Amino acid sequence: MSMVNAARIARRELRGGLRGFRVFLACLALGVAAIAAVGSVRTSIEQGLQQEGAVILGGDAEIQLTYRFANEAERAWMDANAEEVSEIVDFRSMVVVDRDSGTERGLTQIKGVDAAYPLYGETRLTPAMTLPEALDGRDGLPGAVMDPVLVGRLALSVGEVFRLGTQDFVLMAELLREPDAAGGGFSLGPRTIVRTQALENSQLLQPGTLYETDYRLKFTPGTDLAVLEAAAAEALDGAGPRWRDARNGAPGVSRFVERLGAFLVLVGLAGLAVGGVGVSAAVRAYLDEKTGVIATLKTLGAETQTIFAAYAMQIGMLTALGIAIGLVLGAAVPLALAPVISAQLPLPVVFAIHPQPLAEAALYGFLAAALFTLWPLARTEQVRAATLFRDGAGSGRALPRWPYLIASAALLAALVYAAATLSGLQRLTYWSAGGLFAAFLTLLGVAFLTRRVARLFARAKILRGRSALRMAIGSVGGPGSEAGSVVLSLGLGLTVLAAVGQIDSNLRGAIARDLPDVAPSYFVVDIQNDQLSGFLERTQVDRGVSRIESAPMLRGVVTKINDRPASDVAGDHWVLRGDRGITYSATPPSGAEVTAGTWWDKDYNGPPQISFASEEAEEMGLKLGDSLTVNVLGRDITAEITSFRNVDFSTAGIGFILSMNPGALQGAPHTHIATIYAKESSEIGLLRDIGSAYPNITMIRVRDAIARVGEVLGGIAAATTYGALATLVTGLIVLIGAAAAGERARTYEAAILKTLGATRGSILLNFALRSAFFGLAAGLVAIAAGGLAGWGVTTFVMETEFAFEPVSAIAIVAGGVLTTLLAGLAFAWRPLAARPARVLRASE
Amino acid sequence: MTDPVISLHDVRLSLRGNAGNVDILKGISLDVAKGETLGLVGPSGSGKSSLLMLMGGLERATGGVVSVLGRDLTPMGEDALALFRRNHMGVVFQSFHLIPTMTALENVATPLELAGQSDAFERAEAELDAVGLGDRTHHYPAQMSGGEQQRVALARAAAPRPDVLLADEPTGNLDGKTGQIIMDLLFGLRDRHGSTLVLVTHAPDLAARCDRTVRLVDGRLDTSALQDAAE
Repeated sequence: MSMVNAARIARRELRGGLRGFRVFLACLALGVAAIAAVGSVRTSIEQGLQQEGAVILGGDAEIQLTYRFANEAERAWMDANAEEVSEIVDFRSMVVVDRDSGTERGLTQIKGVDAAYPLYGETRLTPAMTLPEALDGRDGLPGAVMDPVLVGRLALSVGEVFRLGTQDFVLMAELLREPDAAGGGFSLGPRTIVRTQALENSQLLQPGTLYETDYRLKFTPGTDLAVLEAAAAEALDGAGPRWRDARNGAPGVSRFVERLGAFLVLVGLAGLAVGGVGVSAAVRAYLDEKTGVIATLKTLGAETQTIFAAYAMQIGMLTALGIAIGLVLGAAVPLALAPVISAQLPLPVVFAIHPQPLAEAALYGFLAAALFTLWPLARTEQVRAATLFRDGAGSGRALPRWPYLIASAALLAALVYAAATLSGLQRLTYWSAGGLFAAFLTLLGVAFLTRRVARLFARAKILRGRSALRMAIGSVGGPGSEAGSVVLSLGLGLTVLAAVGQIDSNLRGAIARDLPDVAPSYFVVDIQNDQLSGFLERTQVDRGVSRIESAPMLRGVVTKINDRPASDVAGDHWVLRGDRGITYSATPPSGAEVTAGTWWDKDYNGPPQISFASEEAEEMGLKLGDSLTVNVLGRDITAEITSFRNVDFSTAGIGFILSMNPGALQGAPHTHIATIYAKESSEIGLLRDIGSAYPNITMIRVRDAIARVGEVLGGIAAATTYGALATLVTGLIVLIGAAAAGERARTYEAAILKTLGATRGSILLNFALRSAFFGLAAGLVAIAAGGLAGWGVTTFVMETEFAFEPVSAIAIVAGGVLTTLLAGLAFAWRPLAARPARVLRASE
Repeated sequence: MTDPVISLHDVRLSLRGNAGNVDILKGISLDVAKGETLGLVGPSGSGKSSLLMLMGGLERATGGVVSVLGRDLTPMGEDALALFRRNHMGVVFQSFHLIPTMTALENVATPLELAGQSDAFERAEAELDAVGLGDRTHHYPAQMSGGEQQRVALARAAAPRPDVLLADEPTGNLDGKTGQIIMDLLFGLRDRHGSTLVLVTHAPDLAARCDRTVRLVDGRLDTSALQDAAE
């Protein structure tokens, strides 16, 4: 084989231009661009989080305490080590607005700050003023600033007075920008900022109240944060205070961004797979046209390998061009949309050209192009010199020789391995790749079956006399049918969209539809010990209330398991992340089932004992008799696990992972939480009565909380839908490519049909029907495959019941039919308009 | 001559090409009688096939009148022409022009279906039997030889019992022996159905089988060479 000869042939062949390769380039470029753009945005956000870590965190480091302020020793350590310290207290409460027309209440997340806040970044207020000016207040009342969402919800206006607990505040401004908002994570209530000092008379920060204090530390530049973290751990005694620093200012956000970004890359890969169908079809069509050239080259003495190399070089060059276009687009689009993306995200984003995501996208593009072009290229081997003298139709084998099969398998494995490694979501990648592969095979099978059934059906006596319908079905089943490429390309795109639709609707359904049937109306927190009996009496007399549950509530961190650091035993289990709610009870909670061991006696007063949630215990590898050390309010309590019990979190009722015997916790300052099950009509009255009687108590309306969770999920679903739409757009390009490629055949067919006496209307109907059949087949497969994927994710990942969502399914079938119809009809006008004599003579 | 089935009066055809207008036919006047077999001969590019296409309404004359069975084709629209062909004409091409996505049977049944014949498939099977392809009904064109494809094309053209059968070099792409078979079939079909046959050909022996032959040279009838087979 001579590579020089191959290169010469390749160069001469490419002189013909790129006309036949528009779909090839568009599919590859779009797939690469989508992945590159998602990766670039992800890297931009990650770099923003990294570079602006101190602003997001609100300091170079943060020490967080639960339920309490720092003691003297802790504060002394902070003052000694930091250049500046800012103290923040963070908790949920109710904003109360008294008006003549009635009292308005709204849940809020209060941030009490000191004069040093913010150490980094700036707040932005409207009307424009500095935060200290705003918090100074006026007319003897302390000031507050509030999220515009809550201001709007309560119809407050600047200058109006509202109450937090028992303290009046004046609203001085709306809070447009809170520099450290992203570090706080998900919260149910919009933000209100006041001075901590001003909360002294509010009765909101009593012993046992659920609040957190954050100490933001500012160090001299160049301070080694890792060294300080170690020093803090030693000086501040174990797990009570929790350390975060600017190296990873918002770990929750960065983990979320990383995962969502990786997930979207996987969706992008699905797009690349769809594009691969177009790439493959384009190469196939190109090489079909070159059959004569290849046969001539063979006649002239070219070896099979030389010819393969010549065409592989051409495809290689086009692949490089397609990838380059994709990379330019993928890098440029996020830059162009930077102002829009920045405005949508409450995060600092560093937009730039990031080489790593571009390199990843190029790798995916190269592997996908190689995978999808190898088989068509292998067909060059099957062209014989005799083709020039005799029609070569039907001489080719269905499968290429085994070396090509092995190479294809290797490329597929490399692509999946690269995606698994680079995304960091190995399990999801393998499942997605498996699902995609299965969908691919299913669609190929359906395309094959569609052709077979159409071929059989076209001969059915019932169709005789219905010429347009029979001809349409006959062409779906006949040679040169577009069934394969159309069903595959559109079907894959629609499948991804259908899966996203089913998962989204089931997720929303599980939260919004199923939960409220069993969920309480209100979740009540911060009920003081001396308020509990009054609170219960007051709610029980309400006729609309069907049930009330209450439990003591403390928060603690599981630090050790059997005297070893907890993370050494149970890894990164969510129960060990941060502090958890803990309760105590003399008897098992009503409805709870003790699955192993025994609950302590009612009047037990021995060494501390624990009852642990059985499912989580199993995940963490806990056994009866194990000892757990729990840090509660800075004090370590070590207790033995004496029972496991089932805890059902799906009802949104009270459920604690960890319950202790009363003697272990009763002495610690604590509050109570309660759930109220009431008719919807009684909810407003309850809020008013309890809110007036106990201003410090916070009542969270479960319906509002569900709506807030729904909003967050909606955002994620929207991002995923955009990803799926990119896949669908690629599918459309493939579809249009297939329709365009079939135009010549349709022109020829229309000319013959006109010769035989067919009117343009009947020919158009014939073309429209066959397009609709393809769309219908693709849509039906998409619903089945998307539904299956939805069922898998809903059942095994979300662990909820799957309910098929018909509206999006019908929309997808209709969309599939409409899309193929439009693409088919768009390329039907020329065939219909062509004069039969010219068409037929041109092909003589 | 009784009323002609095909009547051409001063027919002209000009096509616009890259190099400007090209005059293909330059005033042809010709009548073809009912049941007559007319051979159109002449050198390549003389306009034989174009003339045939005009007779079939597949091409539109730029001047003159093309009348078939007493109907003037020149003002008729595309669909009206299609309907006219459906009811009165059969066309056979040099390159067969079968629909590749249809089996032999479906190809032959299509014009009958378009004409609303309820027994389209039964008649199509009979026509395929008549051309010796009764055992190839479910084969696609790509699975057949050139001779077989042309036999399918003949069956398709003859199936609706057309008044006029137009054949454009029907043996041009076939070897001598196969060509002979096709011509026997074509003339046999014409005899059976009593159609008027207009045939474009280069083959002198084929032309000799026609009732009359006209020669075209450079878009005009070569009157000096007019022969009458009867003479």
